[in-house]
Amino acid sequence: MADRIFASLALLVALGYGWIAFTGIKAPFQYDPLGPESWPRILALAATLCCFYILFRPDTEPFELQGSAGFKVAVMLVALVGYAALFEPAGFVIATALFCAAASLLLGANILKALLFGVATGIIGYLIGAKLLALNLPAGLLKFML
Amino acid sequence: MDAVLTGLGQGFAVAFQPLNLLLVLGGCFFGTLIGALPGIGPINGVAILLPIAYSLGFPPETALILLAGIYYGAEYGGRISSILLNVPGDAGAVMTTLDGNPLARRGEAGRALSLSAVASFVGGTIAVVLMSMFAPILAGFAVKFSPADYVALMVFAFASLASLVGKNPVKTLLGALMGLMIASIGVDANTGVMRFTFGSPDLMAGIDFLVIVIGLFGMAELLHLVEAQARGTLQVLEIGKSFVSWKDILTVKWVMLRSSLIGFMIGILPGTGASVASAVTYGTEKRLAGDSGENFGKGDIRGLAAPEAANNASAGGAMVPMLTLGIPGSGTTAILLGALLLFNITPGPLMFQQKPEIAWGLIASMYIGNLALLIINLPLVGLFARLLTIPQQYLTPLIAVLAFIGVFSVVGNPFDLYMIIGLGVFGWLLRKLDFSLAPVILGVVLGGLFEDNLRRALSISGGDWSILLKSGNSMVLYLLAIAVVVVPIWLGRRRGKKS
Repeated sequence: MADRIFASLALLVALGYGWIAFTGIKAPFQYDPLGPESWPRILALAATLCCFYILFRPDTEPFELQGSAGFKVAVMLVALVGYAALFEPAGFVIATALFCAAASLLLGANILKALLFGVATGIIGYLIGAKLLALNLPAGLLKFML
Repeated sequence: MDAVLTGLGQGFAVAFQPLNLLLVLGGCFFGTLIGALPGIGPINGVAILLPIAYSLGFPPETALILLAGIYYGAEYGGRISSILLNVPGDAGAVMTTLDGNPLARRGEAGRALSLSAVASFVGGTIAVVLMSMFAPILAGFAVKFSPADYVALMVFAFASLASLVGKNPVKTLLGALMGLMIASIGVDANTGVMRFTFGSPDLMAGIDFLVIVIGLFGMAELLHLVEAQARGTLQVLEIGKSFVSWKDILTVKWVMLRSSLIGFMIGILPGTGASVASAVTYGTEKRLAGDSGENFGKGDIRGLAAPEAANNASAGGAMVPMLTLGIPGSGTTAILLGALLLFNITPGPLMFQQKPEIAWGLIASMYIGNLALLIINLPLVGLFARLLTIPQQYLTPLIAVLAFIGVFSVVGNPFDLYMIIGLGVFGWLLRKLDFSLAPVILGVVLGGLFEDNLRRALSISGGDWSILLKSGNSMVLYLLAIAVVVVPIWLGRRRGKKS
């Protein structure tokens, strides 16, 4: 079943991709026999065939995702999106501290250790990354002191 | 032979520069560390550390030496979690668990770990020696390849990928096609036409390779770990005081030799790497052992030495097509190839002539790396094993931190942080549906090359498709492509009939 759902979605993507390839891409002028549209057309056709094959002959056992595991993955995704949103505005240290604390809490650490781990990772990570390795990391809200 | 020796001399001159030497050792050490972390295989290790290595501003040969050290180290480190935890870091380490973990359960973990270090060293070293002999020859041969021959080579690469990787060839092919489709996003270099950019300036230059790698491997791995962790906890076995003896090594000397040769050959085949090599050699040794092989799977040292020698040999073998043809032999070498492209270096037959410091420097660094790995692994294995006891709740978030640092410091665009999360979900779903991710990344890396050569070939012929079938080289490659698809099916049928 999961295979079929996935294959249908992939088929939609392949058809959309193919539709653009067959109607949307045109070179204003070209000297070569193969223009920019030919290769995507070939790919779209091949991918469509593969999707049909999987639709008719799926093979995966039922898609397993236990409720609790699914919940944790979902929460982790929310945490990651939050991390991405805060990364530049709040700066590396704060965003990392919050994310690491939240994520380790989610994965079973107790609250004190999670906070300690978060703050330590934020500060040590910044020192190693931005100061020692001279990588480009955002200072964000702590700009005045970093 | 003279050319090989001159090249090696030049390579060692590069590899022995203090910074490069330091980075080989550092790469091996960190690679082992990452490989030893439960569940993180070489490909994820290299993927997570690639952007950081890139943004440090090293010259290309130095960055590549560092990454290759990590790759090699991670192949070594992977066995630690396979043996002590029964959790393989990647598909290539699955076979190691079969006999390695039973040995550890019997209290002989130290013996298993040290024996596998020796086997890995033998496999890795044989592969590097073969590589230094054959890579220049192959490169010299490939210089004469025409665009049409390259098209045939790609067809062969994708045929062996579909036939040998993963359980379902159609899924592997679809995965590769997805990679090729991702690669087609952005400006078409020949005509300047936009393809699949939907007017977004973020997509004009295509999706950054680093973003794809970090997303599909690093982030997908993170989600996988979260899910696995929610399902249960892991138990680490004691290492104990046992150690490999000369008698053990002599018992498995032919096993290691055979497995190294087979592993190297399989590594060279485009697209197939450690997973196929270790499975094939394990099967071969089991069959060769005959009646004495009844302990395979219960802790036979031959069953441990074979896949360990093979997966390190295939790691070396996979470098050969990458360096000489520009076609990676495995998922991890696809990432290394992408790394070279980031430095504006296109690997291929001319690299041995035009950039000998990179090609030979890398090869020489592998000799050093192998030796270094053996030396740091025998006494320090206890230290690495202690990593397994780091609780997952701290380890898993660190992957995200490393991934974010990497992507942000190289690309510097917050849009890409969301992109890696999205690609991570995509990669995680693909893995859950039994798709292997290596074909996707191979598709991404080879997409441009495949299309360019096809278009160039047809420009030469003025649009006549029969040019693809005209040269002897291409015909041989097409025949090989057919063979690599047909032979496994035929063997499968024959085995089916027998039983």
